[in-house]
Amino acid sequence: MAQRELLNIARSRSQLYSSVLTPLLFLVFLGNGVSSGLQPANLAAGNFTAYLVAGTVVMTSVFSSTFSSASYFRDRDNGVLRLLLSTPHHPRVILLGKSLAGLAIGVAQAMVVLVAAAPFVEFEWQYGVAPGFAIAVSAVVLLNLMLTGVAQAFASRIQSMQGFHLLMNLALFPLLFFSGAFFPIDGLPVWLRVMAFANPLTYAVDAMQLAAYAVGGEGFIGLPIDFAVLGTVAVLVYALGLSRIPRLTHSGQ
Amino acid sequence: MEHPGPAIAAREIVRDYGERRALDGFSLEVPRGGVFGILGPNGSGKSTFIAMLAAMEQPGAGELRVLGEAPSRALRARVGTVFQESSADPLMRTAEYLRFAGRLFGIPGGTLSQRIPALLERFGLADRARDPVSSLSGGMRRRLEVARALLHEPEILLLDEPTTGVDPEERQILWDTLGEARGSTTVLLATNDLAEADAACDHVAFVQAGRVVAAGTPAELKQGLRRDAVRITWPGATAEELAVVAGWRGTGEILRSEDIVHVTADDASALVPRLFELAGREIRGVSIDSSSLEDAYFRYVQRRVGGSK
Repeated sequence: MAQRELLNIARSRSQLYSSVLTPLLFLVFLGNGVSSGLQPANLAAGNFTAYLVAGTVVMTSVFSSTFSSASYFRDRDNGVLRLLLSTPHHPRVILLGKSLAGLAIGVAQAMVVLVAAAPFVEFEWQYGVAPGFAIAVSAVVLLNLMLTGVAQAFASRIQSMQGFHLLMNLALFPLLFFSGAFFPIDGLPVWLRVMAFANPLTYAVDAMQLAAYAVGGEGFIGLPIDFAVLGTVAVLVYALGLSRIPRLTHSGQ
Repeated sequence: MEHPGPAIAAREIVRDYGERRALDGFSLEVPRGGVFGILGPNGSGKSTFIAMLAAMEQPGAGELRVLGEAPSRALRARVGTVFQESSADPLMRTAEYLRFAGRLFGIPGGTLSQRIPALLERFGLADRARDPVSSLSGGMRRRLEVARALLHEPEILLLDEPTTGVDPEERQILWDTLGEARGSTTVLLATNDLAEADAACDHVAFVQAGRVVAAGTPAELKQGLRRDAVRITWPGATAEELAVVAGWRGTGEILRSEDIVHVTADDASALVPRLFELAGREIRGVSIDSSSLEDAYFRYVQRRVGGSK
């Protein structure tokens, strides 16, 4: 199952490129534009482009999970889902195969952005390059697990791919803006900071910023809390997505 | 493992979808081996029954046995299903799709490497092995689907209207190729193509409104029909005119389906002139044939206008 999903994604060139290129373009233009034009002072590293990398990686994961999850609708519409359900496998196994592929692609694409940005921005790697990279990868894995669960839960309730994309964008893009991805949450009004701390994406951004570009931990949430929240939310949301299987396999049929 | 008894045994199956009753006391026995056809109009319950045999739907009531067992996910390994709509991934290549399907049914890679080329050759798709499924014609895709369903060498092959939208030449190719599977595999064919069923099936069941209304061999079902079948395109036929026709000596069944009036008779050459005397210019066309499975089908399934004499 996972192999087939990866093959289909690899053959969907437009999907593959747009989910990586769009965040990179964002990073290049917004990062350089704000750094040279606005000169933000309250950033730990003082470099907005470096600051933006973590948010861009999270954005890549959001795009990737949305595109990968569209395969549920594709398979339903082209009849492949019917074939999958006529095999001896439990629907959960089928869903696991599809989501593993989506997870792998999401992590790979996020890492492409991180690796592509690394030569051009000044990362501190305060824990060391290899441990720092491992922290970033771990945060991205948990983030993508959570986003896969969200996508499965939405896909089970929505009949059309267009509606699904709309719902994913409506739900995830506001979360992206209040995650510390584009500006620090320190200086925000209290009510926005509360929203940011209730947002699981905030912890993914925080973990990656701590690993890649922060010096010390002041102004950050901290890795133990980041991974505790990300891990718990990811497992719960993914389990919720798995529980929606009966509706997912019968939606639109 | 030997399985005494029929390949499929259904007794008083009921299945509701909300307020709509899809199967309403559906009972059927399919003997092992050969081709068994279930014929009925759209919405009569054929596809629902096929889905139950593939353990993709559950009966609401009644008893269903496939190869002596209740349908289950595990039993799907011994059943091959060709759905009414295509289930081939258009993004995959032809051989690639078969390999994917074979692995889903747990067939080892080495075995697949032997079976896939053999099946592609048998179904006339060997030269399309590396082409995307999206480039295949409708008929080729149907052949691919049947090849896919036979990949794991099932004991039962379920075909849900496999030749819908397929041209006559492709249809013949498909049936010629399927003929090789007879004997080793029990084939259950759901169709509303009566000519196809008459030519291909060893046994047939007529289905209407979720129930089996008649079953037997095509010869058994045609027994008792009059010798000739007259098909009249007669848009303006009134109930009074049809009652007159029903009263003529030698007239059998009279059935009406929109503009077509179906009459069985002992001697069509005597009937037809009298029809033109009665209706004249209202009759747009007449065709005469020997009584067929279609006539038997109309006797049991479609609305009857007159009785036999």
